[in-house]
Amino acid sequence: MIDFLVNWLANAPVTAVPYALAALGLIIAERSGVLNLTAEGLMLVGALAGAGTCLMLGGYPAVALVAAMVAASAVSLLFAVLVVVLRINQVIAGLSVVFFCQGFTGLVGTLAKWQNKQLTGLAPLKIWPLSEIPGIGRIFFQQDPIVYLTILIFFAVNFLLFRTMLGLRIRSVGENPGAADAAGVSVTLHRIFAIVAGSSLIGLAGGYISVVSVKLWVTGMTGGRGWIAVALVVFARWAPWPALAGALLFGCIEALIPQIAAAGIRVPQYLMLMTPYLATIAVMIWVGTKDSGITQEPGALGQPHVREERR
Amino acid sequence: MHDILRRAEPLTPPVPAASRGFGRLTLDVRQNLPAWKQAVFVGSSLILGLAISVAILAVAGIPPLTLASELAGVLTAENLRGVLIQAAPLILVGLGASLAFRIGFWNLGIEGQMIFGGIFAAAISIYDIGPPATRLLLMGMAAALGGGLWVLLVVFLKLRFRVNEIIATLLLNYVAMYFLFHLLYGAWQDSKTAFPQSTPFRPFERLTDIGYGVNSGLLIAIAGVLAAGWMIHLSRIGFYTRFIAANPRMAKVVGVPVRTATIWIIAISGACSGLAGFVNVASQEGRLTQSFANGYVFSGVLIAFLSRNDPIVVAIVGFLIAVLFITGQTLQVFYQIPFTMVQMIEAIIVMAVASSEFLIRHRIRWIR
Repeated sequence: MIDFLVNWLANAPVTAVPYALAALGLIIAERSGVLNLTAEGLMLVGALAGAGTCLMLGGYPAVALVAAMVAASAVSLLFAVLVVVLRINQVIAGLSVVFFCQGFTGLVGTLAKWQNKQLTGLAPLKIWPLSEIPGIGRIFFQQDPIVYLTILIFFAVNFLLFRTMLGLRIRSVGENPGAADAAGVSVTLHRIFAIVAGSSLIGLAGGYISVVSVKLWVTGMTGGRGWIAVALVVFARWAPWPALAGALLFGCIEALIPQIAAAGIRVPQYLMLMTPYLATIAVMIWVGTKDSGITQEPGALGQPHVREERR
Repeated sequence: MHDILRRAEPLTPPVPAASRGFGRLTLDVRQNLPAWKQAVFVGSSLILGLAISVAILAVAGIPPLTLASELAGVLTAENLRGVLIQAAPLILVGLGASLAFRIGFWNLGIEGQMIFGGIFAAAISIYDIGPPATRLLLMGMAAALGGGLWVLLVVFLKLRFRVNEIIATLLLNYVAMYFLFHLLYGAWQDSKTAFPQSTPFRPFERLTDIGYGVNSGLLIAIAGVLAAGWMIHLSRIGFYTRFIAANPRMAKVVGVPVRTATIWIIAISGACSGLAGFVNVASQEGRLTQSFANGYVFSGVLIAFLSRNDPIVVAIVGFLIAVLFITGQTLQVFYQIPFTMVQMIEAIIVMAVASSEFLIRHRIRWIR
């Protein structure tokens, strides 16, 4: 029983990191007032770029993760131009980008023959001597470096959003772009920055899945994690720390599935695989049942800003 | 004292704008634009999108000339049958998406609804319900019911718990897919082949050709187009739909049954997708397969978007997307281009056409 628990919880951070990073990236973009549905697609781009870099260089997972971030940011520029400059419907734009990325990564991954090739991955970082504590050591102090980096990133983004001038401007653009514009804050630039910066984290989340966690590239490998991240943002009410908690919850749920199979408990396999999606819907129902006069939703979420348009 | 007066004295005239470098771009909001100009903008952006797609394919190893000859091959008489078979489910999902979008409901659960349509239809076949003569009718009705029920689940979540339907419908696609796998790798697996497929439908459970290389599935799609056209343009519920889309509060105040009409429209939207699932399993596949609903979510969105939710236009756009699908299958077989390429091209087209809306709504001006 203890073994089962330790095995399960030791794997939970690895499954939680993609949710956490993707949700955080989405929070940055949505705080600037852009309804961002692109996570599923950008995670695929990150996953493919990470796996591809790893295969071409023959290793260097750190470089691969940086490549994943850069690639996702580059693709997100397309989304930024569509919604911030051309002001097209943010749902339509987000969906288009997701399906574009699904098609594009499938095409590139197959043509470059990156499918199903084993990657080297990232060695765990043992924080000695804490890593030698039985049980707890394996859960908390023998994870890969990105797990620890994720926590640092959360501190950094929290600081950026709530303690710096840039963060204040991003949030003001998301709450009331008209007022921000009148105060001399460029709505366009801050929204584009928020989208691209957030997308780099989404790309890292995708790269982490292919390079560190699964160590393979398979077409469509993110399997809806991006949509779960979108739901997590609503659940977390656009705040970083609750998003991390939610990500941990989903990490635990996802990590439980292989553990149950490994423990020899006979549960219908495909019904088990439904649990993350059903859990997401359950969480959204829970959000809906709470009496929430204040949703914390950014005031201008989903609204394009046209200075010349009178409202 | 003296100093202050001096500083207040000569107020320098504002620098003329022209001397401030290049000037700036501004956007004017257009009140309206003649229809032909709109058509030019949409048409040229469509061409731009297709050009980008052709360019990407050229990089992927399909020269434009090869592409053109493949496209011409698809449109020959013998291949047209395949296109028409493919058009039927596409038109139906297009109808489903456009009905839901008309009322402002983002139905992105088309694949899930198709899967449950297929499962319900297959259940009628597998459990041998009803006499052979009415079997197909029963399967179709079951499929519509399956798709409708699956979307009503989301409607319930939205109305009761304010769950966002975009996320709920998308996530339920995965749930439906795993439920299909659960059946196909378990109780419903074909015991003869041990492939994850159901046993083939019997001949009277399949949609057959009605001559001239036209499959009866297309008749269902055309009937759907006519019914939806009547419903949207002529019937009372169509009027309600326009009213609700324009102003739900006003509609409610003057006595439109907003809730009932919304639920019905969305249920019919789900039923259309369910029927598409039935048409796919009963004509193309002839059995329940793992992937019969793959790639239809965005196709539905695209068809609804390009046809501006008009049922009659849906039929035309659905046919064109069927050509794209069949071309994609040809490229997959002969050039090893993965079928996801079709989704990519669809996305590029939507982005391009949506961008043209910007030019239709705004005028860009250079102010010096």
